[in-house]
Amino acid sequence: MQETLATSTLLSVPSRSSISMQDKFSTAGQTSSAGPQPSRPSIIPPHNKSKGWNSGTKVHRMRRIIAEDPEWSLSTVPLLTELCIQHIVKNFHNNPILKQLLPEHQQKVLNHLSPALPLAVTANLIDDENYWRRCCEQRWPVCHVARHGGSWKRLFFERHLENLIKQFIPSTTDPAVILDLLPLCGNYVRGLRVDQFLPPVRLPPQPRSGELSDSGSEVEMEEPATDHYQLCDLVAGLSHLEELDLVYGVKDCGMNFEWNLFLFTYRDCHSLAATIKACHTLKIFRLTRSKVDDDKARILIRSLLDHPALEELDLSHNLIGDRGARAAAKLLSHSHLRVLNLANNQVRAPGAQSLAHALAHNTSLISLNLRLNCIEDEGGQALAHALQTNRCLTTLHLGGNELSEPTATLLSQVLAVNTTLTSINLSCNHIGLDGGKQLLEGMLENKTLLEFDLRLSDVAQESEYLIGQALCANREAARQRTLNPGHFMSPIIAKGPENLAG
Amino acid sequence: MNPPGPLGVLEEKEEEHLSTPILGPSINSDNPQERIQARRLRIAARLEARRREALGEYLDGKKESEEDQSKSNKQKEESRLKLNKLLLCGTELVTNIQVATDVRELRRRVEEEEIRRQRLEKLENEVKTSQDKFDEITAKWEEGKQKRIPQDLWEMLNTQQVHCAGLIEDKNKLISELQQELKTKDDQYVKELKKQSDDICLLLERMEEQVKHVMKTFRQELNYIEKAFEVERQEMLASNKKKWERALQAHNAKELEYLMNRIKKIEDYEKQLNKQRVWDWEEYNMIKIKLEQDVQVLEQQLQQMKATYQLNQEKLEYNFQVLKKRDEESTVIKSQQKRKINRLHDALNNLRAKYNKQIKHFQEENQSLTSDYKRFVTQFKELQRAMRHFALVDDKQFREIWLMNEEEAKDLISRAFAVDRIIHTHHLGLPWTAPDFWFLRNVGPISQQPRKSAAQILEEVLMQADEEGTEEAASEAESYLDLPKQISPRTTRKILMLLCDESGFLIESKLLSLLLPLEKNECYLLRLDAIFSEQTSLMSGQEPGEQIDLEEQEEESLVEGEPEEKEAPPSRRLIHPNDVLKILEAFVMGLKKPKDSQAPVKMKYVRDNLKDSEYWEALTTVIPDATQNLWDALYTALEKYHLVLTQRAKLLLENRSLEQQNTELQMLLQQYLDSKINSELQVPPTQVLRVPTQ
Repeated sequence: MQETLATSTLLSVPSRSSISMQDKFSTAGQTSSAGPQPSRPSIIPPHNKSKGWNSGTKVHRMRRIIAEDPEWSLSTVPLLTELCIQHIVKNFHNNPILKQLLPEHQQKVLNHLSPALPLAVTANLIDDENYWRRCCEQRWPVCHVARHGGSWKRLFFERHLENLIKQFIPSTTDPAVILDLLPLCGNYVRGLRVDQFLPPVRLPPQPRSGELSDSGSEVEMEEPATDHYQLCDLVAGLSHLEELDLVYGVKDCGMNFEWNLFLFTYRDCHSLAATIKACHTLKIFRLTRSKVDDDKARILIRSLLDHPALEELDLSHNLIGDRGARAAAKLLSHSHLRVLNLANNQVRAPGAQSLAHALAHNTSLISLNLRLNCIEDEGGQALAHALQTNRCLTTLHLGGNELSEPTATLLSQVLAVNTTLTSINLSCNHIGLDGGKQLLEGMLENKTLLEFDLRLSDVAQESEYLIGQALCANREAARQRTLNPGHFMSPIIAKGPENLAG
Repeated sequence: MNPPGPLGVLEEKEEEHLSTPILGPSINSDNPQERIQARRLRIAARLEARRREALGEYLDGKKESEEDQSKSNKQKEESRLKLNKLLLCGTELVTNIQVATDVRELRRRVEEEEIRRQRLEKLENEVKTSQDKFDEITAKWEEGKQKRIPQDLWEMLNTQQVHCAGLIEDKNKLISELQQELKTKDDQYVKELKKQSDDICLLLERMEEQVKHVMKTFRQELNYIEKAFEVERQEMLASNKKKWERALQAHNAKELEYLMNRIKKIEDYEKQLNKQRVWDWEEYNMIKIKLEQDVQVLEQQLQQMKATYQLNQEKLEYNFQVLKKRDEESTVIKSQQKRKINRLHDALNNLRAKYNKQIKHFQEENQSLTSDYKRFVTQFKELQRAMRHFALVDDKQFREIWLMNEEEAKDLISRAFAVDRIIHTHHLGLPWTAPDFWFLRNVGPISQQPRKSAAQILEEVLMQADEEGTEEAASEAESYLDLPKQISPRTTRKILMLLCDESGFLIESKLLSLLLPLEKNECYLLRLDAIFSEQTSLMSGQEPGEQIDLEEQEEESLVEGEPEEKEAPPSRRLIHPNDVLKILEAFVMGLKKPKDSQAPVKMKYVRDNLKDSEYWEALTTVIPDATQNLWDALYTALEKYHLVLTQRAKLLLENRSLEQQNTELQMLLQQYLDSKINSELQVPPTQVLRVPTQ
């Protein structure tokens, strides 16, 4: 072979490869391009002796055509594999072949697949992140893949499903639209963030819509008719669902605003309660800005009692009062809740007291948010008492709660004792100058607190500054701790620059 | 970052470790202890080094680069602090908006509440006043009904109308007020909305600004840090280069010096080599001559050797022949030996078979013998049982026969005694006293009483003492113990108790603990038992002399204890010292006796016949010789008397017969006399004869 290569002209190189190409093409059952064909007979004779194809030599000799095409090069001829891949890509919709291919070919196929392919084909077949990334980027201009566990596929399906739910109009849209998707996305959806539930469209109301504004009572009469999409069937089909973030409201209603667009009905509440109770994988449940009052909160929380997986409950921006807070307190002692958010509700002193009672013996709750409630000093004191025994809570938000000096006094005692709290927020209260001083005293004995927000709470600037100093010291200490849990971390860091310099 | 404290300590440690290997023990020392010590130190030093590698290197680096590295570190620290501050401030700036909104919301809420409260109050007041007015109006209607004069009625109606109008006006006013409020609220809401959007805009702006600022500062700080590192690197490079150049120069100088030395040395060596070569040449020649001479000598020797070789060859050939012959012989002998070995093997096998057979045979024999032995043993046991049985039967028979004989003898004796009495009373007219012998009271074969063990005896003694033993019991006890009469059982008991207390050392401690819960009497009893068993075991093991010593000791101890008591007036508790010895001796002897003849079964077989014969002898000599002599004399006298009496009786009989004959004859005579013949006779005999008158 080497000899023949040496003797023959440069053209022999492409010709030989063209022969092999042709063989391949014939086996693949495709028509080869016309370019290499004429060159074949002209070049073969030099090889004949060595390869022993004596049968066809005469024929080839007879019509020797030398097609010296200087522009011809191998790169212009697409490889068979490439052609196959193109074909596969073209017909992927009808005949999806992916798993049988070699890894590099798979990659090529995936790179050329169109994002517009039907989900029924791609959902369970393609795991490639790049493909799904293209799908996502084509559909949505902004994609926070980090919010979906860093998986583009998950992002795609979650947002797709969310969109469907958002656009779902009860009794108008076919529920099969969503339920058909279940077998496709059931394995990939882990979280659902739905910030819009459309109410059913009433055809008759169109004439009546003018009257609605002045007859509020009628809306209440027709409340059962404004039930939203029921999540039961969907959630039952999502076997890996961990996060559920719901807002019962309508976005972008503009001038069509009606109060009944924002109704979270009792039937909705009951069905949602049953749904979350049945979903044993649920870890995070958020229901915000949905006008959840005491009764609804109680219904929801009752269904969450002894839930096996629930870790975070967020009912902020609702209308929950003391009874709802009491239910939440009961939930604290009947679950492994780690985060509880009741911000911007109507919890008052009794509710805070019951929460404090539950908190005193709780060993799982890490974060408690009671921002913009009205627990006042009674509730604040109860919480401070609870914190003296609690050994778990790290974050406490009591901003905007009408707290004043007595709570500050107790909290300063807690600060001296407690070693788990890392963040406290007391902004927008009436702590006062004396309270600030007492908090400063407590703060000076604390070595663990990293954040302490006292903005707009009538504390003297001096004490606030000193508290800031103490926090800085604590933060520095914490940083040292994380940097070198033993003594072995620091040298490596210190050696870094040395190595660079050397 | 680290405090300088531990650094100093570490340095000290380092110095310590550097100094120790020099002063400390060496591994090559002769003393093994020292070597071990040295190895330990070496391991410790290695560990220390490893630790320092992890921890200390940093410190070393820190120490070394206090001047060079501090710049980068300082820069890093500064940047970090600055950035932290920036982040904190930025976050605060951004969150300030939220907090401000919160505060506003709070205030709004408070205000709202206040306003709502006021509004409610106002409404309530309004309701009350309007209700009053309404009541007034309705009351007036009633009043109006009673009016008859139209003017009055009209007037009243007018006033009513005015009132109603006022009421409605009030209400309308209220409504308008509320609507006004609503409107203002709407306005407020719009304002609020605007404000919120402004806030959001501000928030966004701030966030953006913050991001930009942070990015900028981060980049700047990064640049600073990089610059610092760069500068540091440059410095380090420069210093290292300097060092390197210095080292290179030193190295070059050394190299040159070395080269010069080398050239000098090479010249030296060349000179030496030449000298050596000349010398070698001479030596070579000398050796050559010498060797040639040697060759000649060796050639001569070779000739000689060849001759001897020839000779030796012949000799060896001859030897070879001889050896061949011998070999043949030896093969023959070998075959013979082989045959012999085979034979012997056969014999050995035979013998082995025989041996096995023998073993089997002997085993069988052994088995049969053991079975025989077992049988014999069982037979022997049976025999023994039979013997025991027979012994018992014999004993019984013996006893029966004895009893029979004795009865017979007793009978005879009683008869003899009866006779003797009769003789004495009737014939001799002497008073008779019945002789009293021990054997007469004896019933059954003479045998020893079954011995009681010491414990039993003691038990009895103690029990007697407890029960204030009656005389009988005492006598019984004495009969067992062979105690001297003058000692009462009470005394004995005391002595025993004393003994028990004094010689507690003989008792095992285990026993003592077991004894604790028992009753006092039982306790004593068991302790005594233990003591005596111990004693006897001791005695059996000891010489008699020692035994006596022991006893003496005991006695001594007892006696020693006495004098103190002696001084007290003689009481019932006091034991006479003289008695003590006797009692103890008697007690111990009494105990020893049963031990001598322990087996009661054997005793039965060896019961002494001496006493039997004596007994029987005694039975025969129940009548003393004097009485027998008397009886003999009496017998002869009585015989004589008997003779006289018999003669007399004979005579009396003769007399009677003679008298009878006489009477017969008289009758015959009478007859004859009375007969007719007489009459007929001339002379009647009657006349002749005198008829005896009766």
